[in-house]
Amino acid sequence: MSVRVLIVDARSERSHTLERALVEAGFEVLMVTDESCDLHGLVERLEPDAVLIDTRLPSRDVLEHLGHINRRYPRPMIVFSREADSALTRQAARAGVSAYVVEGLVPSLVRSLIDVAIESFETHRQLKHELTRARETLNQRRTIDRAKTALMERYGVSEAVAYGQLRKLAMDRRTTVFELAGELLEQLVDTRPRKPGAKSPDGDEGDDR
Amino acid sequence: MSALETHHLRLAMLPLSDSAPLVVAADQGFFAEEGLDVELRVESSWAAVRDAIQLEQVEAAHLLPLMPLAATLGLDGRPTPMLSALTLNLNGNAISLSRPLFEQMCTLLPEATAHPQRRAEALARVIAARREAGLEPLRLACVHPFSSHHYLLRAWLDAAGIDPDRDVELRVVPPPLMADQVEAGWVDGYCAGAPWNDLGVERGVAVIVCEGYAIWHNAGEKVLGVREQWAERHPNTHHALLRALIRAGHWLDADAEHRLAACRMLIDGGYLALPHSVVEAELHARFVAGEGRDAQRDIHFARFNAQHPWRTHTLWFAAQLYRWGHFDDEIRLREAVERCVRPDIYRAAAHSLGIAAARTELCSLGEHALPHRIDADDGGSLLLGADSLLEGGRFDPSAPFPASRAQKPSRQR
Repeated sequence: MSVRVLIVDARSERSHTLERALVEAGFEVLMVTDESCDLHGLVERLEPDAVLIDTRLPSRDVLEHLGHINRRYPRPMIVFSREADSALTRQAARAGVSAYVVEGLVPSLVRSLIDVAIESFETHRQLKHELTRARETLNQRRTIDRAKTALMERYGVSEAVAYGQLRKLAMDRRTTVFELAGELLEQLVDTRPRKPGAKSPDGDEGDDR
Repeated sequence: MSALETHHLRLAMLPLSDSAPLVVAADQGFFAEEGLDVELRVESSWAAVRDAIQLEQVEAAHLLPLMPLAATLGLDGRPTPMLSALTLNLNGNAISLSRPLFEQMCTLLPEATAHPQRRAEALARVIAARREAGLEPLRLACVHPFSSHHYLLRAWLDAAGIDPDRDVELRVVPPPLMADQVEAGWVDGYCAGAPWNDLGVERGVAVIVCEGYAIWHNAGEKVLGVREQWAERHPNTHHALLRALIRAGHWLDADAEHRLAACRMLIDGGYLALPHSVVEAELHARFVAGEGRDAQRDIHFARFNAQHPWRTHTLWFAAQLYRWGHFDDEIRLREAVERCVRPDIYRAAAHSLGIAAARTELCSLGEHALPHRIDADDGGSLLLGADSLLEGGRFDPSAPFPASRAQKPSRQR
């Protein structure tokens, strides 16, 4: 029986790379979702064997809770990792992916699941890096301006404050202002009419840090 | 103090109003003045903070008060002995309910809804009405299984005869998503810290029905946590870190202008991407209004001896774990509290700054409706805030685990 996996990631490009890689490795991907869904309800309904989630997403705490209320639900990898697996857990943390698995899952499968996840996240990061360098264009300026305007409209702040927030957020998350602006816009556009997932720019979970 | 074992420290935190002491210590150069080069690592979930400290990717963290205890007992993540020698703040939490739910409470029991202390009764009435109508239980959220918010919410419900495990469905929702999920109707209310209740109000989706202060006057909120082993191997560095944060807390409580400056550091520093009004509501507006009686309800970083790591506070949380069937071994709980809460280490750091500490190991809880004085270890006295509990409840730290606990085993945490 194959291992049933739920992917939670706000970056559709990366999550679909991961999905393909998992399927190739023999895993069953139940669904790819982001934080705009009711994650608690989804895990209750799907009962996945494992959840792979972008480490940056605040919704990790939803999974922590589920892991405590019922043994059927996946629990954080750190609970299972012995000293020998610490390196893998650390490597996953560095790659920006967190795994939640149900108790009793075969260790070799867990290892392979996490290996695939790490590889996908790292490949994506490299691709993204090259792409960013190639894209030093006017387009960047436009995206940043649009994000700035969106912030000004949404929170009633001045242009200077909006840009200041973008810049500092980008610095803190070790991403470029342009990347952050793009993701912010995606979220703001995606979430009209408003639904969870649309919120403060601070909740822009899709970014690298 | 002798030489630092290391100069570079990584400190994990969540971007919250009460992470102000960390941000202030960095911004005002308090870390640097202690010879420390501190990297603040902003995480997005308590799970990520927990992983960072347990995987030794950081040396210290801004934590929920139960987290060192839960890690030591092996309840959260992998068993990792941790300790805290500093409380970073008191108060700051509140319970918000969705606007439609609050309106329903007003309709069903208007006289109770008018009084903050009796609003849970009105909620109980709505719950009963829903049950009769065959509707699903209301969903209430907190921020993490081992959060103060979780157990404050349980205490508030319990006092009104609402069984948190049967009469409602408890969930966890990340604070930045709270207002959205209320708006979407996925949860009906939540208990969270600042600025997330003020955001719900500002967005017009929720009403603050009860401040954490009403449940427990001056509850310990965030703590500085370190791995026990790290503290043993780096006593001087730990001491220096404590000194910087003690100074940051005193700086925050010294002047309303400092509070305003801290709001700016949190916003302009990119920690909280929220309107100024939302962040200032808790950190600054209350502080200014607080010249009178309200001063006591404010979030405290240093006033009222806020930084002392009281074992009583952690014992209250331990008693909640026990009360709700989340951890059954009272002997291990008691031992772990002794091990995790280290007033002795705090005392040394406070003394080195000329700050007196409490002479007693335990403080009272549920006995003082007003600020009161206790003996200090320099022969003087210290002012402590009120310590009332909901409905005049009392908590005896020498007998924290009552024999008669909840009759039924809890099925949910």
